[in-house]
Amino acid sequence: MTALSRTWGRLTLPGKIVFTLIPLLAVLTAGLIAFIIVLGGPIWDLILANLWFIRFLVAATIILVITIPIAFLNIYLEMKVIALMNLRVGPDRVGPWGSLLSVVHGLKVLIKEDFTPTGADSIVFTWAPVVTYGAAVMTLLVIPFAPGMAGQDFNIGLLYFFAVGGMGVVGLLMGGWSSFNKYSLLGGLRSAAQIISYEIPLTLSVVGLLILAGTMSLNQIVMQQSGWFTDWYVFRQPLGFVIFFIAATAEANRTPFDLTEADSEIVAGFATEYSGMRFGFFFFAEYVNVFIMSALTVVLFLGGWNAPFDIDALVNVLNGVVGAVIPSFHIATPFSIALDPGSLGIPLLFVIGLAPLIGTLVLAAPFYLVRSSMRWWVALIIGFVLFNVVAGGLTFAWAYVSFDWVAGLVWFMAKTFAFVFLFVWMRGTLPRVRIDQLMGFAWKWLLPAALLNLFVTAAAVVIVGS
Amino acid sequence: MDVAAQQRASPATGAVWSEDRLTGIWYIVGFAIAAVSFTFLTFGAAWLLSHRNRGDVHKGLPYESGIDTFGDTHGRFGLSFYIYALLFVAFDIEVIFIYLWAVVFRDILLGGFVSMLVFVGILLVGLAYAWRKGVLTWR
Repeated sequence: MTALSRTWGRLTLPGKIVFTLIPLLAVLTAGLIAFIIVLGGPIWDLILANLWFIRFLVAATIILVITIPIAFLNIYLEMKVIALMNLRVGPDRVGPWGSLLSVVHGLKVLIKEDFTPTGADSIVFTWAPVVTYGAAVMTLLVIPFAPGMAGQDFNIGLLYFFAVGGMGVVGLLMGGWSSFNKYSLLGGLRSAAQIISYEIPLTLSVVGLLILAGTMSLNQIVMQQSGWFTDWYVFRQPLGFVIFFIAATAEANRTPFDLTEADSEIVAGFATEYSGMRFGFFFFAEYVNVFIMSALTVVLFLGGWNAPFDIDALVNVLNGVVGAVIPSFHIATPFSIALDPGSLGIPLLFVIGLAPLIGTLVLAAPFYLVRSSMRWWVALIIGFVLFNVVAGGLTFAWAYVSFDWVAGLVWFMAKTFAFVFLFVWMRGTLPRVRIDQLMGFAWKWLLPAALLNLFVTAAAVVIVGS
Repeated sequence: MDVAAQQRASPATGAVWSEDRLTGIWYIVGFAIAAVSFTFLTFGAAWLLSHRNRGDVHKGLPYESGIDTFGDTHGRFGLSFYIYALLFVAFDIEVIFIYLWAVVFRDILLGGFVSMLVFVGILLVGLAYAWRKGVLTWR
């Protein structure tokens, strides 16, 4: 309580006003939603008439808001995983296992002074993080998260991704130039040179995949990889995958290619003069970039939202094996469990309504009966927790089987965060390369290798096709 | 998927196609506006919440690890940055052509292969020249 009142006392007057207004606005919004629901005939008509606009607003809000937890999760993963790799404890104070520490970092950045140096070009200085962050976020528009869950499915999706994603380097250059600082200028130019050099192998390494796919729509590329995991493009384009992953690491400014932030050489690179929220957005963009690069790798080479096994084929095998013994056994594919509460009838619904109570009692009983020293209310709490775990698991299993977007989202996120973990792992393991090695590697090794991959794939397609 | 298939199937049939394409463009523009306004709203919130003080003259100086700055702040930098930018422009435009070629490659097979070999070969001569001149080695 004292901490709260102390924080309140430290706030500036506008800060106090904002913190009073936010709860007020939240209550008003809730009231408005309730108002629309209760007496909203004409309001519903208005909304239905402008459905495309509502859809756009919802999609834009979701994509913008989803970047916040993604970035927080990435930052936390980075702190904790690298700490464990260094045999340290890492964050462990705020929240369970320190998981809220990145949220606290975010709030801290929000209330720090946002300072512009005297000589800086303040307009360019302000727009630089906006451009970098905007470029990172706008690429999320074409990423297919799950079946039917993509901001837009452009038929030039991949080209759009590279075109918009390449804009990020403009923001870094703007930040480096406008800071009026030698180290910022050098850092900005250095990161620009690095990113544009690795842009070439990055874009060329997927051409072999484009030849095989015949489309640039990311959604269709994912659909072509459905089935068993052997259908993923990583097995048909192994060299392309390796080049793409190395170049993506450099594009996202990650170790071993993080010369942009080589603090032992150029202070903090382009971000030297930045502070407060403008610095925060550079950082934000970096972590969103890590997620986006992982997501694109997964979409292009690792089957996107496809499961690594073909569930329909598995069910058919099951049908064949069990059907040989029991002729009436058959599971229809694609199978789903439909729940229709209306068809259940009142008595059954009543039983389902009592399920939490019965489940808690049933799960608590063994603990209470077996261990005589256990208090009854401790057993009840254990039973309630167990019931929630079981019910949550069952609901998740039902949703996984019944809705393909749930299954798709689960697989997509699992694969993507496996790649995010890989990025963190590399940061915990590998040392930083020298800049001459970095540039030489892009132009002398990756570019010829990407062209080789392109022509080998093309030659194979010509031979098979004719 | 349906929209994309439709677009590829009937590029000449007019209304539906151009309307879809237009919707996509408005999506991009609207999303850019949304992203920029999100950023500036956060800046505004930070501006309201944060502390500010004027400090003395040293606060606004460029940060050089503690000492006052000297010399030209927008100083000279290496020419190699410029040469890399030139190479990037050449190869990035090449990439746009290669992408379009790759998407239709299954229809043009051998002829497409040979012509792309010639196209990339000319660019590779340029790359080999740059390599020979030592441009690709960072100095």
